[in-house]
Amino acid sequence: MTRRTTSISSFRSIRAASLLLLAFVVALPGFAASAPGTLVLEGGTIHPVVGTPYTGNVVIQDGLIHAAGADVTAPDGATRVDISGLHVYPGLCDAISQLGLVEIGAVAATVDTTESGMMNPHLVAATAIHPASEVIPVARAGGITHTVTAPETGRDGIIAGRASFIHLDGWTVEEMAIVPSVALVISWPEIETRSFDFSTFSFRDTPFGEAKEEAEASQNTLRDWMDAARHYAQAIAAGSDRLERDHKLEALGPVLSGELPVIIGANAARDIEAAVAFAEEQGIRMILAGGGEAWKVHELLVEKKIPVILGMTATLPDREDAPYDQPFQTAGKLAAAGVPIAIGTGAGGGFGPGGPHSSRTLPFEIGMATAYGLSEEDALAALTINPARMFGLGDRLGSIEAGKIANLIVTDGSPLEITTQIRHVIIGGRDVPLDNKHQELYERYRARPAP
Amino acid sequence: MPHRTDRQRSGLLVLSWSLALLGAVAAGAERPAPPPYFAITDVQVHTGTGERLEGATVVVADGLIEAVGTDVAIPADAWVIDGEGLHLFPGLFDAMTTLGQKQEESDDSGGRRGGRGDDGPVIRGPEDRPATTPWVDAADLVAADDGRIETWREAGFTHALTLPTEGFFPGQGAILALGSGEPKELIIASGVAHRINFRGNGGFRSFPGSLMGGISYVNQVLYDADHYARAQALYDSDPRGLVRPAYDRTLEPLRQAFERDQPFLMPAHHGREIDRVLNLARAHGLKPVLFGGHGAYHRVEALAREATPVVISLDWPEGESDRDPDAPEALRDLAHRRLAPAVPSMLAEADVPFAFASDSLAGPTQVFEGIRKAIDAGLDEHDALTALTLGAARILGVDEQLGSIEPGKIANLVLASALPWAEDAEVKAVFVDGHRFATREPSEEDEPPASDPSGTWSLTLQTPRGNRDMTAELEMNDDGKVTGELAGERGATPIEKGKMAGDRLSFKMTREMGGRSMEASYSLKIEADEAKGTMRAGPMTMDLVGTRTDSAPAGDDDSASDAPDVSLAEIREALEVMQSPVRTGGSFAITNARVWPVSGPILDDATVVVENGKITAVGSDVAIPRGAEVIDAEGGSVIPGIIDAHSHIAIEGGGNEGSVSVSSMVTIQDVLQPDDIAIYRALAGGVTTINVLHGSANPIGGGNAVIKLRWGQDADGLRFEGAMPGIKFALGENPKRSNFRPPPGSPERYPSTRMGVMDVIRQAFTEARAYRDDWRAHERAVEAGERRMPPRRDLKLERLVEILEGERLVHAHSYRADEILQLLRLAESYDFRIATLQHVLEGFKVADEIAAHGAGASTFSDWWGYKVEANDAIPHNAALMTERGVVVSINSDSSEEMRHLNHEAAKAIRWGGMSEIDALALVTLNPARQLGIDDRVGSIEVGKDADLVLYDGHPLSVRSVVQRTWVDGDLYFEIAADRERQATIESMRDRLAPSEDEAEEGENEAPAYTTAYDYDAMHAHAGTHYSCREIH
Repeated sequence: MTRRTTSISSFRSIRAASLLLLAFVVALPGFAASAPGTLVLEGGTIHPVVGTPYTGNVVIQDGLIHAAGADVTAPDGATRVDISGLHVYPGLCDAISQLGLVEIGAVAATVDTTESGMMNPHLVAATAIHPASEVIPVARAGGITHTVTAPETGRDGIIAGRASFIHLDGWTVEEMAIVPSVALVISWPEIETRSFDFSTFSFRDTPFGEAKEEAEASQNTLRDWMDAARHYAQAIAAGSDRLERDHKLEALGPVLSGELPVIIGANAARDIEAAVAFAEEQGIRMILAGGGEAWKVHELLVEKKIPVILGMTATLPDREDAPYDQPFQTAGKLAAAGVPIAIGTGAGGGFGPGGPHSSRTLPFEIGMATAYGLSEEDALAALTINPARMFGLGDRLGSIEAGKIANLIVTDGSPLEITTQIRHVIIGGRDVPLDNKHQELYERYRARPAP
Repeated sequence: MPHRTDRQRSGLLVLSWSLALLGAVAAGAERPAPPPYFAITDVQVHTGTGERLEGATVVVADGLIEAVGTDVAIPADAWVIDGEGLHLFPGLFDAMTTLGQKQEESDDSGGRRGGRGDDGPVIRGPEDRPATTPWVDAADLVAADDGRIETWREAGFTHALTLPTEGFFPGQGAILALGSGEPKELIIASGVAHRINFRGNGGFRSFPGSLMGGISYVNQVLYDADHYARAQALYDSDPRGLVRPAYDRTLEPLRQAFERDQPFLMPAHHGREIDRVLNLARAHGLKPVLFGGHGAYHRVEALAREATPVVISLDWPEGESDRDPDAPEALRDLAHRRLAPAVPSMLAEADVPFAFASDSLAGPTQVFEGIRKAIDAGLDEHDALTALTLGAARILGVDEQLGSIEPGKIANLVLASALPWAEDAEVKAVFVDGHRFATREPSEEDEPPASDPSGTWSLTLQTPRGNRDMTAELEMNDDGKVTGELAGERGATPIEKGKMAGDRLSFKMTREMGGRSMEASYSLKIEADEAKGTMRAGPMTMDLVGTRTDSAPAGDDDSASDAPDVSLAEIREALEVMQSPVRTGGSFAITNARVWPVSGPILDDATVVVENGKITAVGSDVAIPRGAEVIDAEGGSVIPGIIDAHSHIAIEGGGNEGSVSVSSMVTIQDVLQPDDIAIYRALAGGVTTINVLHGSANPIGGGNAVIKLRWGQDADGLRFEGAMPGIKFALGENPKRSNFRPPPGSPERYPSTRMGVMDVIRQAFTEARAYRDDWRAHERAVEAGERRMPPRRDLKLERLVEILEGERLVHAHSYRADEILQLLRLAESYDFRIATLQHVLEGFKVADEIAAHGAGASTFSDWWGYKVEANDAIPHNAALMTERGVVVSINSDSSEEMRHLNHEAAKAIRWGGMSEIDALALVTLNPARQLGIDDRVGSIEVGKDADLVLYDGHPLSVRSVVQRTWVDGDLYFEIAADRERQATIESMRDRLAPSEDEAEEGENEAPAYTTAYDYDAMHAHAGTHYSCREIH
C-alpha cells in the first residue's frame, strides 16, 4: 500500500513537472498512438532500475505505468500478457543519436544532420525527423524506445542546433516528440594537432601553437555569441521596440537563463576542461558528450555536476602506447567516480558507419564495459534513468515506477547480452510490433524456393 | 686559369638578390696558377689504413700522392708546408649527396616526377615507366657553381657521391671532387652506383600510388631488364633466325649494371625496410647498398651475414618542434632517437661496412654534430674516420683511387689541428686533386672578448620585405669562441665560426634553400644587453638589432637531455617487452576448462595438452605429460584462435593501389608491417590468424597475405607458411568510385558502372589466358629444341594465371546479389572458382547460387545502411547463408572490431538463431576452411596448431575477457603480463621523454608514411555518414 501511495504522489508531481515543461517547448508534445486500454504484464522479473529486481506485474494505462509491484493486480478488462520467465526493463535510450535524420549515410539526399554555417542555435532536429525512416523500427526492435535526436556540426561548425527528445514510435513527429527542443548542441572547438586529410589520404600535423590559437579563436567567437545573446535578451526584456528580431540570438536565451541544457561535445581532457570552464563562466547547464578522456578529469566533472554521454565503448586506444583496453574502461572509471553516464550512437567513438544504424547494438556497447569495471546496475542506468535525468525527464522516463511513461521492454535475459532476445517493446503504453525491414527481408528470402 | 671564365660567368649571374644568396661562390678574384708540387712535412699522418706516422712527410705531385713516410726526400721544387703540430687525414668522403647537381628542367624522359603530386603525366601502369631514368648519370648534371661545394670543402670534405634522388630509378651516381674547375675536371668516377626508391606517389591518381605499387614496379623493371639482357645475349650469341630485340634506353643501363655488378643504393631505415631491400637484392642478384640505416640496430646480424654495406644518414631522427604536449611520443619513437646514433658502433663491431652521408643536412656543421653523436653513442674515432674515408671508398668501389694516404692515390687531403669533427678542430688546408685550398690565418690576433654575449637574444632583421624576428641562443667559451643557434620562422640552425673579438660578435650561418646552401655572415656590436649590426648574404646587407632577454647561458644541449641513466640495453629490453611473446615453447596443459573444439561438441571440465606448438590431447580424461605446465582454467572457456578473414592491419604505405583498374601486380606480402600495434591489440582480443587484404579500389586488386599474429617476429616470421596465396577483387560502388570524389586533375577512370567492372575482370582474364598460352607455346618450343626468346614476365598477368590454374584464391568484395551472381558466372566461364565473397551483404538473396558455385561467404555481422549497396543488408545474413549450405565467416575489416569478433559471432545467435557452436565457427573453423588452412587451425583437435584462446567466461558473452592467447603454443597475450608490459612502457617512456624545453628544440618531421594503423584510424574521422571501411 505504501508503494501505491508513493506512486500516486509522485504521479502528481510528474504531471506538474510536465506542465512546467510545456511552458517552454515549441510544439505540444503528444504521446505515441492512443493508449489501447489497460495492458498488464504478468509474472515477469521486473527490473525497476531505481530499486532491486522483483517478480510481479506491471499495469499500463493511458500510456503510463499505472502500477508496478509484486502484488499489483490486473484491473478488470485489462489485456493480460503472461511473461513469466521473462524480464521487464525500462525502455532503452540512445542518449544522443541521429535517428530520423539519416537514412543512408553515403547518400546526401537522405541526410539531414548537418546544416551549413558556424552557429545554428535556432535549428531544431524535430523539424527534420522522418517518422517513416526505416532505421527507426530497426532500432526499436533492439529495445531502443526513445532517443535524443541531435543535429551535428559540419566543418568548422560550433553550434549545431537543438536536439529533440523523441519516442521511437508515432505517425508524425508531433506524436513522437517528448520534448521537441531539449538541449542545445555545441561541438567544442578542440585543439587538433592531427587531422585526417581526405584529399591526400594521410594525416596532417599542425604545430601545437597554431592549433591552440585556432581553437581559442573559435572559442572566443562562441563567447561573442553568448555575449550578444545576453544583451539581446536584456534589450527584449527592457521592451526595446527598435530591435530587429534575431532568431539565432533569441534561441540562445533559454540556454543563458539555464532552462535549456547544452550538450557540449569534447573528448580530450584539456578540451573538456576548457568547455567546463566556459559553461561555468556562461552560467549554462552542461552535458558532456563524447568524453573520450573524461576519466582523466572525473573529479572536475563530479565537482561541477556534469553528466557524460559516452560514445561507443568499442574504440581504439588513442595512441600506440596506451593500454589496449583503455577505452573499454572509460565507462567503469566514470561511474565509479560518481559521474552519471549515458551512452549514445551520436557521441562519437566506435568504428565505421555506426550512427543510428547501430543504435540497436548500444546495449552491447555498454555491456562490454561491464567486463572492464562497470557494474551491471550502472550499465542499465546508463541506458535508462541517467539520460532521462540529464535532460530533466527523470520524473517521466527511465525507470519502472508508477506514473512514468510506459516505455518498457520485455526480454528473455539481460539486454546487455547479445544473445538475449527482445520479446516486447512497449512505447507510450503500446505494445509495438517488432517488424522491421530486416525481419521482413529475412523472412522473404528464407522462403525463397530453391532455384 | 681554366676555371676563371666559369667563375666570371657565375659572377654575372648574380642579378637578383635571391640568386645571389644561392651563389655563395660569388665572383672570385683572379688567382695565380696552382703549383703542382707540395711537401707537407713534420706532420702526423693518419693514413686511413689504420697506420699513424709521426713526424712524417707527404709529397704531392700532379694531383697524386707521390710519397708518404718519415724518411722521404723533399723534392727541391716542392712548396713545403710545415705540418708541425698538425694532423694530415685522407680527405673526407660524403657518401650520399646531390652536391653539384643542377636543378634539372623537365625533359622528354617521360617525366622525372612520374605523376607525383597533382600535375605531371598520369601513369596508367608499369609500362609507362614512371620516374625511371637509369640512363641519367650525375656526372652529366654537375655544375661547378654549387656553393655547397666550397662549404663542404672548407670543412674537410674532398669528394662526395652525388646521385640523383627523385624517382624509382633516378639514375647513376658520380664521385665528385670538391675542388674548383670545369665540371668535367671534378668527376673522379661516373656510373658508380644506381639508386632505387620504392615510395609511391601517395594517391589514386597515377601509378604507383602506394608503397606496394612502388615495390612491384621496381620488381617489374628489374625483371624487364633481366629479360632484355637475356634476349640481347641470345641474339648476340647468334643473331641468325632471331628477331632483333628492340633497344630500350631504360633497360640498357640496367643490363650494364648487372653485367658490371654496379651497386644499387636503396633507402632503408627500419628493420622491415632493411628486410625488403635485402630480399629484393637477393631475388634479382643485385649488389645492395643500404642508405639510411637508422633502425639497423634490429638487423645487425642480417647485415653482417653478407656484410651488406650501409651508408648511414647523419640526419639523426629528432623530435617534433611545437609538439602537442598532451600527445606523448610513443616509446618506439623515443627509443629510436636514442638507438639510431648507436648504429654505427654496432655495425663497426659486427664488421658491417659502412659510410656516412650528410643526406638532407644543411652543412658540415650539422654533419660533424651527427658524427659526434655517433661517437658519443659508442663509435670508435678510428672507425668514424674509416667510415668517412676508406670505408666509403670501398663501398663505392673507388678505394684504388681514394680513401687513404698512400702513394699513387689521388691527393685529397685535410690538414687540420685535430680530427675534423672535433669541436675545436681547425682546418688549415684542404687538398683536392693536389690543389691546395688554404684557410688563411687572420692577419692579426683577435682582440680578447670585451664582454660575454652568452644568453638568449631576441633579434630583429630589417629586410626589404619587412622585419623578421629571430632568437639566438649563444654561449661563449674561454677563448672567445661562440657556439649556439639561431632560430627563425623556419626553425633553428646552428651558428658557425662564431667568435667574440673586442665588442664585436661575428658568426656565419648556412642554410639549405631550394637545393642550394646559402651562407650569411653576421656581425654585431655588443653593448651590455644591446646588439646592433648587420647580416650579409651575397650582395645584400641588412640591419640587425637585438636585445638580450635572458643572460643565463643556454642549457647544455644534447648531452644533458640524453638522460645518461638509461642505457641502450635497458631501452632495447623495454622494446623487447613491448613487442615479443610472453613465453615461448614448452609443453602445457589447460585443465578444468570448458573446451569448445568447434569441430565437435563442447567438453566440460576438459583438458587441452600442448606440446611443441601442437595440440597433442583433448578430453576430460587425458594424461598430462611430465614437466608440463598446468594452467587451471576453472570457470573459463578455451576456444580455437580467432581467424579474421578480412583485415587491413599490418600494412605499410597504403593498402590500395588505386591508380589502376587491375592492380594484381602488387601484393600486401611486400609491405607487411610487423610492428603494427594492431597486432598486439588483436591478440588481446583472441585473434591468432588474419587474412590481410588489399583494398577495394579496383575490380581486380592486389595479392593478400595470410599471417599468424606472432608479435615480435619480422614480416617473414608472420607468414602463415603453406597458406595458399590470395587476391582481392571488388565489385560495385567502390571500384566504380560512387562514394568518393577523385582528387582534382584525375582522369576519369574506367569503369564507372557495374557493367564496366565486370568487363574489366573479363578483359583481364582474356589477357591472362593469352599470356598463359604464350608461355606454354614457348615452353613447348624450347622442349623441341627451338632457340627462342622467352615472353616477357608480367607480374600483373602472372597472378591472374595463378587464379586460372587454381593456385590463388579469389576474395571478392561484393554487396549486391546481382553483382555476386555475375561474378560467379564470369568465373565459371573461365573455369575458376571464387574462394570467398567478402562482405556479401546481399548474399542471403542468392545463397543457393553461392553454395552451388562453392564459394565461401565472409560477411559483417550487422552493419547496414551506410551506402546504397548496404541498404538491404540484414543481420540474419550469416545464419541464412549457413542454412543454405554456404561456408560462412564473419570478419572485422577493422582494427577495432577485430578485437571482439566473438561478439560479432554472438550476433548470429540473436539474429537468425544459430547454435552457439555454429556461431563460434563463424570466426574460427569456417574462416580457416575458406582460407584453406583448416588442416592446421580453426578448431581444437589433436595434431592442429596450438592457436588457443582462454576466456574467463562464456566466449560469446560481452562480459568475458580474453585471459591468454597462444599462437603455435607460444603465449603472446596474458592479462597479467599485459599489465607488466604496460608499466614497462610507461616507465621507460617517462625516462626517455625529453623535458618540455628540449621538446621545442627539435625539427618538425613529418611522418614519412601513412602506416596501416593510420589508415585504419581514418575511419574514426569519417563521421557517421560515410565510412571508409569500404574503401578497403
